[in-house]
Amino acid sequence: MKFEKKRSSTKQTIPTASLPDIVFMLLLFFMVTTTLREVDVLVSFRLPEAKAIEKIENKRLVSYIWVGNDGRIQLNDSITKLEEIQGIMYNKRLAMPNVIVSLRIDKNSDMGIVTDIQQELRKASCLRINYSTLLKI
Amino acid sequence: MVKIKKRKLSEAEIPTSSMADISFLLLLFFLVSTVIDVDTGIGLVLPEYIPPEQQEFVPISRERLAAVLINENGDVLLNNQIIAIPQIAKTLIPRIEEKINLPSNKKLVVSVKTDRKTNYNLYIQALDQVKDAYFQVREEYARSRFGKRIIDLDERSEEMKEIKEKIPIIISIAEPESVKK
Repeated sequence: MKFEKKRSSTKQTIPTASLPDIVFMLLLFFMVTTTLREVDVLVSFRLPEAKAIEKIENKRLVSYIWVGNDGRIQLNDSITKLEEIQGIMYNKRLAMPNVIVSLRIDKNSDMGIVTDIQQELRKASCLRINYSTLLKI
Repeated sequence: MVKIKKRKLSEAEIPTSSMADISFLLLLFFLVSTVIDVDTGIGLVLPEYIPPEQQEFVPISRERLAAVLINENGDVLLNNQIIAIPQIAKTLIPRIEEKINLPSNKKLVVSVKTDRKTNYNLYIQALDQVKDAYFQVREEYARSRFGKRIIDLDERSEEMKEIKEKIPIIISIAEPESVKK
């Protein structure tokens, strides 16, 4: 007796018509959730590590100050002098009254420059600061 | 009359088979070019700036004050005792705990003071220890009082309010000597 091979009569292709839609949905998700980097960081720095850290809950309020390993200070997108911080930050505070200043300072810096920046921030009455650190594991 | 033959229209169709590939490329571009970085750090509120001539000297009793001094060699002095940085939390915890039930004007004040030449990393480590001490005390308080962990508490809940009132984090960043003058 001869056996005939059974073949299913249905088509054996995966329907790919909706694939672009699915991918577009993924794409949209990524476009909405991520923020593009706004400024170029001109100084090189390595952040210190700490355990008892907290997240900054509202990213829109954050304004950054970078201090590189060569002691240069960057505010917004340009290198700034120490004396200019007060004026710039004062205007920022007028625009955003509860601004949080995130200090991204290289871990080998001296405290001298840190206290100088802090004094400038106090004069500009930007009092909420955050020492940016990485999580120590 | 010549009969014009109606040409049969071929079905107009855009080839969509490569659409998926194109959108995958776009997706990849966004995946690569965006950064999801979470800002983490040690939060602090600076004291208001008061010009030197208007500054008043407010005495704080020795009982309330925990002074952390860090010099340029990385030696730490806590209340006139030389200790290592990892010991700061352990030393502070009992002092914070004994003041939980005192009124708010008797809580511990931790003052951190550094030299101009002190390494920034050391300062962060010391500050981290101080914060860690406070967090541990808060955690312990939340567990014994409410049977919950801090993470499970809502930021605006009554419990959180009580914890913040009982164990306020008061860290004073002392003005460096050269600025004072």
